[in-house]
Amino acid sequence: MSRLRRFLARLDGFTLRALLMALALAGGVTAALVVGLGLFNVSARKGHLGLTEWVLHTTFRNSVALRAGAVPPENLASPEMIALGTGHFEQACSMCHGRPGEAQNATIRAMDPVPPHISALAADWAAPELHWIIHQGAKMTGMPAWPAQREDDVWPVVAFVQAAARMGSEEYDRLSAGDARGSCAMCHGEGGVSRNPLVPRLDILSPHYIAASLRAYRDGQRDSGIMAEAASGLGESAIARISTRFPAPEESAPSPIASKGAALATRGKGAVPSCAACHGPWPERLNAGFPALSGQHAAYLQSQLKLWRDGPRGGGELAQLMHHAARDLSDAEIADLADYYAALPPARLDGSER
Amino acid sequence: MSLQADRGNMASRPEQSKLNRAAILSTILLGGCRGPQSVLSPAGRDAEVLASLFWVLLAGAVLLWLAVNGLMLFIAHLRPHPHSRRLAEALIIGGGIVLPVLLLTALLVFALREMPRQREMGSGLTVRVTGESWWWRVEYLPEGSETPIASANEIRLPTGSRSEITLEAREYIHSFWIPAFGGKTDMIPGRTTRMSLEPTLPGQYRGQCAEFCGESHARMALVGVAMRPDAFARWLAAEAAPAREPTTPEARRGREIFLREGCGGCHAVRGGPAQGTTGPDLTHLGGRATLAAGTLPMTRQSLIDWLRDPSAFKPGVRMPAYDHLSTADMADLAIYLEGLK
Repeated sequence: MSRLRRFLARLDGFTLRALLMALALAGGVTAALVVGLGLFNVSARKGHLGLTEWVLHTTFRNSVALRAGAVPPENLASPEMIALGTGHFEQACSMCHGRPGEAQNATIRAMDPVPPHISALAADWAAPELHWIIHQGAKMTGMPAWPAQREDDVWPVVAFVQAAARMGSEEYDRLSAGDARGSCAMCHGEGGVSRNPLVPRLDILSPHYIAASLRAYRDGQRDSGIMAEAASGLGESAIARISTRFPAPEESAPSPIASKGAALATRGKGAVPSCAACHGPWPERLNAGFPALSGQHAAYLQSQLKLWRDGPRGGGELAQLMHHAARDLSDAEIADLADYYAALPPARLDGSER
Repeated sequence: MSLQADRGNMASRPEQSKLNRAAILSTILLGGCRGPQSVLSPAGRDAEVLASLFWVLLAGAVLLWLAVNGLMLFIAHLRPHPHSRRLAEALIIGGGIVLPVLLLTALLVFALREMPRQREMGSGLTVRVTGESWWWRVEYLPEGSETPIASANEIRLPTGSRSEITLEAREYIHSFWIPAFGGKTDMIPGRTTRMSLEPTLPGQYRGQCAEFCGESHARMALVGVAMRPDAFARWLAAEAAPAREPTTPEARRGREIFLREGCGGCHAVRGGPAQGTTGPDLTHLGGRATLAAGTLPMTRQSLIDWLRDPSAFKPGVRMPAYDHLSTADMADLAIYLEGLK
């Protein structure tokens, strides 16, 4: 100790500088050897050192805790949210996180770090933290970011993760549509008639509109992580096949009904144009490029109208028309309009039958 | 003058161009005194009063200027010695107090007598003008009529009678001003202001929004047309009628495109399903002199240019671009719209 003190006492400025430079040089050479010669072993077989493991995991937890702050929607625990989240989880996440009542497959279990099993996640993270992780992903873990900017369609997955802690394999099979797994019908229902009000029914949409929407999802023009996942691999022939898969409903020409939203929908108000001129019901046949809304689910319509009004919902080449139209809508008007269209009988108004 | 002549012989190029510039500038400045949008070429009772008021004030100001500067010259150069106290006091009290009081009182009396005349009640026709972003909604209410005749961006008035103008605004404050007809009046959201106008000289004039109202304030003009009473009555009857049916195949296709593209969500073409009230009524669009509130001449080509990208002509415009239409569709649509006389 006293020797060290004597050594330090004898150090003058020049010696100190030389010493520091020598240390820096040695550090640089070591780093160059590790990177350049590949001295660090990246094998996933070996796992991290205990200390490294602790540093990485603690950093991860604290980073999430610092940033997670989204406010969950009121209907987070509703069966509709859980059902929608289950469909997306089955499609995009079950490969790594396993299914309730089933073990993860061996390949996934050989990852480092091993993705946590779905049943264990809810105990570990609060809803805003789950939302943040699912939307942002996590570096160096294999967890990808949400493939869209939109944040609201992450919540159904959070709802599912929370429900999965108590979910058995039978319920999971029922919610992920058993035999229909991986097809449109998993979420959109048999014949495109979805039972879940958060998911649009497709039977009222023209093949032209369905095809345009699938292309917009696939190409990132329409913002939705759930549909980006479903549409990302579709080629033109698949799009043509899917868009003509849903038979049109019986009703062909519903007439407007009296309700709170009727006046706004048929005549417009102030800077809000009439909805009916593009979306029907309308004396003329509808432009196949515009979606018919007659009979569409109210909850879905509300979420879409808010996206149009508040953010870059996007879509096909006609999307900017709707961004202009929805700009001045109030929450109450959105609710009225959604109720109005949901109360009309389901109908495809462009004349197409398939 | 002689200096000018001497130098004129060897006037160099830059000086020549300076002279040219002065000539151009004075032409522009003087040119502003005439034309379709000028307080100084009145075509209505109220504008006549304002114009004569301007000339009287100008003449008075010139006289006063000459008197004050003449006095200065007299005191400083012609008689540069002390004046009697009496004269000095008489000048100060007479020229500094009595004269201004008399002049200003006379002007005030004149102006106060004029003011109610500018706001006199109209007789017969009422026109409701609403300032929109950034265009003018114009609705005609002939005497005794309850249902307004909708039009836009052009206001037609009969000569020889005083018409009532009610002014409203939807989002922002605007100001209604057709200088050839009369003074300006503000349009305020949530309030109704009013004025009346009595055009005298038939013709087409230009007005514009006179209160900064946002991005396209400078592109918010309107056409004012004064018509002889019988011609006006014929025009108003035609304006009240539904749109004429398209006659050519192109125009009929244009009508289909108009309805197919949802134009009727914002625009009305009376006599068909298009009943939108968000944007200007287009029932007789082709009969108007300008497109987009005085921004473009009413031609087929400007209709096409406008439909392709309205914000290129009017920043912040509420109308979306229809650039997804094919050239053929666009041409037919323009033919249809142009034919809505």
